[in-house]
Amino acid sequence: MSGAVRKTAATFGIAVLSLFSLIPFYIMVIMGTYRNEDLFTRIVLVPGTYLLENLKTVAASRFDLLYLNSLIVSLASTALSVFVSACAGFAFAKHEFKYKNRIFAFVLLTMMIPGQLGIVAYVIEMRQLELTGTLLPLILPWVANAFGVYWMTQYIRSAVPTEVLESARIDGCSEAGLFFRMVFPFIYPAVTTLSLLVFLWSWNNYLLPLIIVNKPELYTIPLGITSLGNAYRTDLAAQVLGLTLGTLPVLILFAVGSKSFIRGLTAGSVKG
Amino acid sequence: MNTASRKWVPYAFLSPYVLFYLAFGLFPIVFSFYVSLTSWDGIGGKTFVGLSNYKYLFDPDSHFFQSVGNTLLFVAVTLPVQMALGLIIATLLYSRWVQWKGFFQLINFLPYIVTPVAVGLMFNLLFDWQAGFVNKVLVELGLVDEGIYWLGEPLTARIVIVLMLIWKGFGYTMVFYLAGLANVPKDLHEAAQVDGASALRVFWSITLPLLKPVTAFIVITGIIGGFQLLEEPMLLLTGAGMGSSVAVIGGPDRCCLTTVWNMYDTAFGSTTRYGVGAAIAYGLCVIIAVFSFVGARIYKGDSE
Repeated sequence: MSGAVRKTAATFGIAVLSLFSLIPFYIMVIMGTYRNEDLFTRIVLVPGTYLLENLKTVAASRFDLLYLNSLIVSLASTALSVFVSACAGFAFAKHEFKYKNRIFAFVLLTMMIPGQLGIVAYVIEMRQLELTGTLLPLILPWVANAFGVYWMTQYIRSAVPTEVLESARIDGCSEAGLFFRMVFPFIYPAVTTLSLLVFLWSWNNYLLPLIIVNKPELYTIPLGITSLGNAYRTDLAAQVLGLTLGTLPVLILFAVGSKSFIRGLTAGSVKG
Repeated sequence: MNTASRKWVPYAFLSPYVLFYLAFGLFPIVFSFYVSLTSWDGIGGKTFVGLSNYKYLFDPDSHFFQSVGNTLLFVAVTLPVQMALGLIIATLLYSRWVQWKGFFQLINFLPYIVTPVAVGLMFNLLFDWQAGFVNKVLVELGLVDEGIYWLGEPLTARIVIVLMLIWKGFGYTMVFYLAGLANVPKDLHEAAQVDGASALRVFWSITLPLLKPVTAFIVITGIIGGFQLLEEPMLLLTGAGMGSSVAVIGGPDRCCLTTVWNMYDTAFGSTTRYGVGAAIAYGLCVIIAVFSFVGARIYKGDSE
């Protein structure tokens, strides 16, 4: 009896707190289904009927382009970052070289440096290299990712058996061959986790595009949804719908991969 | 021959990381320090001014310490609440009493994944003076006669920011506490329960002390992350019209100007003083370092 009561009470408590998490999303979605005038005059709680009309308004702006730009930036950042991290991780985990521990300690130290420290000079650097008319400046900072190196080193050290590498070496396998054919198959879970993290970090990035991107054709999602107010100045409903469209798809994608994502995020916190 | 050629292998694998880090990580950091010693608007020539940009940070006109104070206030108010909420939910989820654990964990984690810009905009909508959901509900319930001008007054604007940050962050602390709880040996609990300790007592005397490493990690990363606060207050207070309308920098009386926002505005917003902007970035880095160091020391001293 008391067990059942406890169960109900605990589940109910969690459910109430979860509502706190969900309400802002819910209101955002609902607001996008109403006429602009309705939003100012009454409380909207259930879905309205104006969604298609609002969708037409939003589709008239180049929302697809925002998605395309964000996808290019995030996919390229993720692929490069994962590859470069795995390479460095392989070196740290399975090779011996001079000053290895010191270099690794330095990489860990750079993890603590806030990303904004070099941003002023980075912007100047990108302008000097005349890259500001491209998406490259939004990709390059993610390639050398200290967390990625840490994560890959730990994972390769524990997941890739050294004997397998040794015997492949004796069979005359090249080091590059080892890396692609022997290491990669063992580290898919680590690749998935790191990919999700870098994808989300680069997808959510706002400050760098805000400073560097100077033409609307190159806007990414975060920049795009902040300029919705310019696109539909008087139409709040369309703005909200744009916000929903810019937020929800990725949210759903990450809900699917949240387990792997959380594993990466919490790595290292438990051991302290 | 073979071993000699093999010596290059690790360096070859390391080189992409090193090259990219030197070019787009370390170089900007070093060059930023040089920029912070100059007076430069990006167009004309650089003039070397020594430490005067850093001196300027102590001038109230730079809003540097004001912005640091604002940011610190937000961290100091929100982090404890986030941690308490996260711990309570994690403990409930980890107990055997709650059903649909995965589902609830996911829902409470969602706010953390949302693009920070969208978080600011969502709360901008919720607390809008005219069309905002919160004001409508308050008026409907008869709690206020007319909508509160939430984002127009320093105190209420800060309250909204605190609420927003708690909303966004408690799922983050929750997943860390869940990971920590999974590491607490189960037999310890069982032994204590056999000895007749109440669930609350077990939690207080066994679970909580064992979660200390996780707590320390959350505090330190929370401070580092908190000091980098930018998008949420910025979009909350400037709304979706960014760029064209005359935006209020930092909200009413700059009460919500965060340090990074201040840096952005100084170097790339209202003014293009790159030197001062870079000095703000370095000042911020020093402050973060001090807080992390003190945090780590307190944690270390405590556990000895």
